Amino acid sequence: MPRPQQRTISFTIDGREVQAPENTMLVDAAKHGDVEIPVFCYEPKLGQPVGACRMCLVEIEGIPKLQTGCSTAVKDGMVVHTETERVKTAQRAVVEFLLVNHPLDCPVCDKGGECPLQDITFGWGPGISRFIEPKRHFVKPLALSPRIAIDRERCILCYRCVRFSQDVAEDDQLVLAERGAETFVSTFDGHPYDAPFSGNIIELCPVGALTSRPYRFAARPWDIEDAGSVCTLCPAQCNVHLTVRDERVLRVQVRDNADVDDGWLCDRGRFAYPALNGRPRITRPLLRDGGQLREVSWERALSEAAAALGRAGEQTGAIAGGPVTNEEGLLLSRLLREGLSSPHVDSRAAGTLPLDLHRALGDPALQATVSDLEFAHAALVVACDPITDATILDLRLRKGVRRHGLTIVQATAEELRVRGEELAAQLSGAGEEVVVLWHERLTAGPEGIASAQALLAMAQRLGLAGIDGAGLLEVPSAANGRGLREAGVLPNAGPGLSEAPPPAGPSREGRGADAIAAGLAEGELSAVILMEADPFLRRSRREAWERALGRATTVIAYAANLNDDLHAYADVIFPAQAYAEKEGTLVHPDGRIQRLRPAVAQPGQTRAQWLSLVQLASALGLDLGVRSALEASEQLFDVVAFYAGLTLEEIGGKGVRWQERDAAGAYPIEQPA
Amino acid sequence: MSGWDTQADLGKEAATIPDPATTQVPQELREQIEASMALYPDRHSAAIPALHAAQELHGWCSPQALEQVACVMRVTPASLEAVATFYDMLETEPPPPGAPQRGRHAVYVCTNISCSLHGADALYDAMREAVTGDPGFIVRAFECLGACDIAPMASVDGVYVGPLDRDDIPQLLDDARAGREILPAKQLARRLVADPQANSQAFPEHDAQPPRPLAGRQAMAAEQPGGARPAGRGGAR
Amino acid sequence: MSQQLLLKDIDEPGLSTLAVYERRGGYSALRKALKMSPADVLAQLEASALRGRGGAGFQMGKKVSFLPRGPIEKYLVCNADESEPGTFKDRELLQKTPHMLIEGIIIAAHAGEIERSFIYIRGEYEWQADILATAIAEARAAGYLGENILGSGHSLSLVLHRGAGAYICGEETGLLDSLEGKRGNPRLKPPFPANQGLYQGPTLINNVETLATVPAIMAMGGEQYAKLGVETSTGTKLVSVSGHVQRPGNYEIELGIPSREIIYELAGGPPPGHAVKCWFPGGSSAPVLTAADLDVPYDFESMAKAGSMLGSGAIIVVDDSTPILDVAMKVARFYRHESCGKCTPCREGTNWTVKMLQRIDSGEATPMDLDIMASVQEHIIGNCLCVLGDAMAMPIGSIIAKFREELEAHMEAARERGGAGEHAASQLALAAQGARDA
Ligand SMILES: Cc1cc2nc3c(=O)[nH]c(=O)nc-3n(C[C@H](O)[C@H](O)[C@H](O)COP(=O)(O)O)c2cc1C
Ligand code: SF4
Ligand code: FES
Repeated sequence: MPRPQQRTISFTIDGREVQAPENTMLVDAAKHGDVEIPVFCYEPKLGQPVGACRMCLVEIEGIPKLQTGCSTAVKDGMVVHTETERVKTAQRAVVEFLLVNHPLDCPVCDKGGECPLQDITFGWGPGISRFIEPKRHFVKPLALSPRIAIDRERCILCYRCVRFSQDVAEDDQLVLAERGAETFVSTFDGHPYDAPFSGNIIELCPVGALTSRPYRFAARPWDIEDAGSVCTLCPAQCNVHLTVRDERVLRVQVRDNADVDDGWLCDRGRFAYPALNGRPRITRPLLRDGGQLREVSWERALSEAAAALGRAGEQTGAIAGGPVTNEEGLLLSRLLREGLSSPHVDSRAAGTLPLDLHRALGDPALQATVSDLEFAHAALVVACDPITDATILDLRLRKGVRRHGLTIVQATAEELRVRGEELAAQLSGAGEEVVVLWHERLTAGPEGIASAQALLAMAQRLGLAGIDGAGLLEVPSAANGRGLREAGVLPNAGPGLSEAPPPAGPSREGRGADAIAAGLAEGELSAVILMEADPFLRRSRREAWERALGRATTVIAYAANLNDDLHAYADVIFPAQAYAEKEGTLVHPDGRIQRLRPAVAQPGQTRAQWLSLVQLASALGLDLGVRSALEASEQLFDVVAFYAGLTLEEIGGKGVRWQERDAAGAYPIEQPA
Repeated sequence: MSGWDTQADLGKEAATIPDPATTQVPQELREQIEASMALYPDRHSAAIPALHAAQELHGWCSPQALEQVACVMRVTPASLEAVATFYDMLETEPPPPGAPQRGRHAVYVCTNISCSLHGADALYDAMREAVTGDPGFIVRAFECLGACDIAPMASVDGVYVGPLDRDDIPQLLDDARAGREILPAKQLARRLVADPQANSQAFPEHDAQPPRPLAGRQAMAAEQPGGARPAGRGGAR
Repeated sequence: MSQQLLLKDIDEPGLSTLAVYERRGGYSALRKALKMSPADVLAQLEASALRGRGGAGFQMGKKVSFLPRGPIEKYLVCNADESEPGTFKDRELLQKTPHMLIEGIIIAAHAGEIERSFIYIRGEYEWQADILATAIAEARAAGYLGENILGSGHSLSLVLHRGAGAYICGEETGLLDSLEGKRGNPRLKPPFPANQGLYQGPTLINNVETLATVPAIMAMGGEQYAKLGVETSTGTKLVSVSGHVQRPGNYEIELGIPSREIIYELAGGPPPGHAVKCWFPGGSSAPVLTAADLDVPYDFESMAKAGSMLGSGAIIVVDDSTPILDVAMKVARFYRHESCGKCTPCREGTNWTVKMLQRIDSGEATPMDLDIMASVQEHIIGNCLCVLGDAMAMPIGSIIAKFREELEAHMEAARERGGAGEHAASQLALAAQGARDA
């Protein structure tokens, strides 16, 4: 669907002429002239404005009645007033009406200090209330779900939360019941509001009616710090704000990035992190000693690990897991290749794919973005279940369907291979802009290569390479799967998907994850590094890995928490950093390079992973040439040809898609002239 | 049903669209809802007719009733609760103990302005008093029912009667209990228009017009092409 | 001279059946219209200058002309929600001459090139809905509805939809949401229904009486119709008169006659010994007028000039036996109960107003409260999403302005009684009982 083109118009607000994009709502247009129009119910993320709270009334010359700024599109030459006595009277009236039933319990309200109602009352309210009738009182707070508390006294019925449930998440569990002044937010018959995105309503609520149960009374806005980060719990890599106090993450909130998360978070991303604080972290290196894992010094752990790796040499394998950064991945693969002469590094769960296929699938001309999903005519979802694979994309697809008439076609890998033509016809029927959303698992198994080829054939058939807003969008298995591949954590490719560097060569192929397991089980390999990787996660591989690790001489792991498997098999464990502690970069499935910055100090003796890798290499006689996290990033930008010239500043808070930079021309694929 | 002070029961699962495999829906209700859905370009439009039908069957819009409707309509029960609690004629409070499930008599006494000017509030109080202890009646004060010409008036199972006197109450209730025509002489159905210039000749007072003043509830079904007119509510009593 | 277009022989036995309606010449206007082009039918409607009878008084022909032309999915919705207190005119038509409405709908749909129509009837009109359903079935069987009406090539489906008790569903956009199966919350305007209404499609919404007038217009010609009434309020209008009058009921009048004629000559005025204290000229949403306004001509323009409105054409007469506070309380409570709750001023303002009235009644108020109450009304007016809030604030505001002395006296008396004020409604009841017994 062609995206709306906006031309700039000029209008007058409070006597000043201001430029703004045509047809934006007045409340947004006003911001271009530094005028703030107060709002409660308006939240463009929720869809069309509803004009319910009436807080945003403004005067427009030529229209007798006051108009809601949230729903009136700005037009060229419009003359708007927000400071006339009429407008002020209306604003004071609305605040006064809202406070008729709102308790004045700000001192004990979790929202205090970050509450729009509080702010607007101070900024636009009447100062006093003439309402002397007793206010209504209800039992509070009540559980709305295991994670959310509701205080109905405080609710101002802006119904943002309800609109979220109905129009964004489309779970339709949260509704308004009754009518008029009796209206209240409700679920069906006392059922909890339990849905994958429920936590968003906490942030949407402009008052303290909906609060996070885990966060309740944990902190006040004036004694917390706020840090931007990227969630690495799944490949969607939503942008987050971390609320930090005393070096602990207390809360995870959205950091609105329209190109990534559209301003939403899933409940896992929102609530899992604070829970991590509570889980026992590994904070010092552990070493197996007399059959038992014991805490040891870094020196001891590093030297033991180096010694074991030295012994294993080229018989070492390494696997990088989901949250590993590009820099960590690069250093890890260099450690293997250059320090141990082993080509056996991998980051894919789906097995090894020939390099030319990798390159073809990642062809910059063929890459769709997350926003393309929303505006496309059709999306083909292959071997992918967005809600579990890259949770936030579920909302994007729903938005596409609801707002832009996106047609969704689902298919399995087999259907793609067998019914490609039919599917293509169905898709072209909807229009030419098609996004194929596919999961890495499509390329797994004996048919993996055939499926990848079918995918490329589909792209060809639909002519996706030549169409703006169309293309392929892969959801990798690992959160930073795309970044790790581009950094060269593949058995058959070096950084930037270059030909696999030595020691790999025609006579010596690198082993992928499965082959590493097989090699260990058969005694062909003797050591393995599992960097934030849990090979047991996939049940089908469990047995193979039990055999592999059981037989391995040395198992070195980077992990944040101890589990039974590590207990059973690990010989050395280095404490891993949580994403909130890391410094480095990630690559989003659509090629957006995003930045992690430390928001909290790492607990105990946890060490930055780039640093311990450098130290490990050094113990093995290899100088990785990195003395800081920054240098690690610089090295990455140097060695990946199509990242050339990149800086952390350029990545900034919102990330940058490498395909949109000039260096993308260095991508190793023949571009048709 | 939920209220202001309702806390979610964390032992319950989220209320999503009911699973047809585990939700029993009486055949009659299912058919009514499906017939309603077929009348509209968008099946969601059938919410009110479907809830009317479920209420008819269950006596009120109970959680179970809402689940059944939700199951047939493929919506969440919460979205129906939102609708049911919005409208005055849809009962979302459970009936008192001992009430028959079906066929409770709905007596709506209009207490809006024109009826009040003719004593409707006292009439309403008296009506409530008269049914104390009889769970077979729902007596509700209603907003203007659109019959101020017979103020003070009431609607008894959809039959408009008035002007009512306190003295009419026993007969009215008896008629309802017995399934007889309610206060025939006071039925709106028999009234001639007030405008003296309307009728060019003296028409007789109306005999209650078409078949019988029965439930509009079945109107939906009758409206369908070829749809047979089902028995009126009288039959259900 | 009177011209009864809608009520003529309305009590003829069997008129609700197709046979009697046709015998009286019913559906001949439709036959005539079907031979004309939609544009020509529309021209007749525009020429009639018929103003909507549901409350807002917008010209019907104009509204039809706002619809996009051509064969796109458009809808006609007949508003039979009739819930404005004091209004019962549509009921008279629905139950006695349903085919007149159906015929009007078919003609209007033809003018608007519409192929799908709905009647949204209030849920309480159960019996009326039955009659209407039967009539629709008859009309369909006779080929007036359905595919290719009377071989004209035009088609129209008509579905009867019952509401379930909510005044706000009379408001056209609340009605649309309700018809879509949702809570009946009004929508923001623009977009107006003519552009984006039911299921997002262009939609013509008209009141029962408006549509029922259409066959008469087709029969006599728009220009001829426009000669009835006065210039800006053409035609005849049904007026529902209720409250303290001796002959309450529906009357068809030519617009522009003195209001006194309706209240006294037609409806018989208040019971002997009583005088008009105030009256609502257009349902309870209209600002009250007093005995001083009885000679105002009954038409849209004159009523607006007198500071009120013709609204739905429902005259509620209150005589001198009734305390004005009781009237105010009834009005305010009604709107509080019926506010949908979507917008702040309406939801909170109606609630607050009732509480203030209760304090006046219980002797806990001071004259300053009347000022606050008046200012609350001003804060509601013009600031709501739909006009339900205004519909309370305007009459309450007018009552405070016109009956301030009485309210102050009421307040004073209640305070002296020691705050043990009676429930307003019961006083009203007693007063009214007295009036009827007299
Ligand atoms: C609160 C409110 C209630 C209304 N109730 C009704 C009603 O019951 N019947 C009706 O015809 N119009 C009602 N209206 C007016 C409708 O919004 C709309 O103007 C009308 O149906 C249009 O038809 P008309 O142009 O033929 O009058 C109401 C308006 C408001 C604001
Ligand atoms: S709970 Fe909050 S978000 Fe929901 S309606 Fe109330 S004030 Fe709005
Ligand atoms: S009634 Fe709620 S906005 Fe009008």
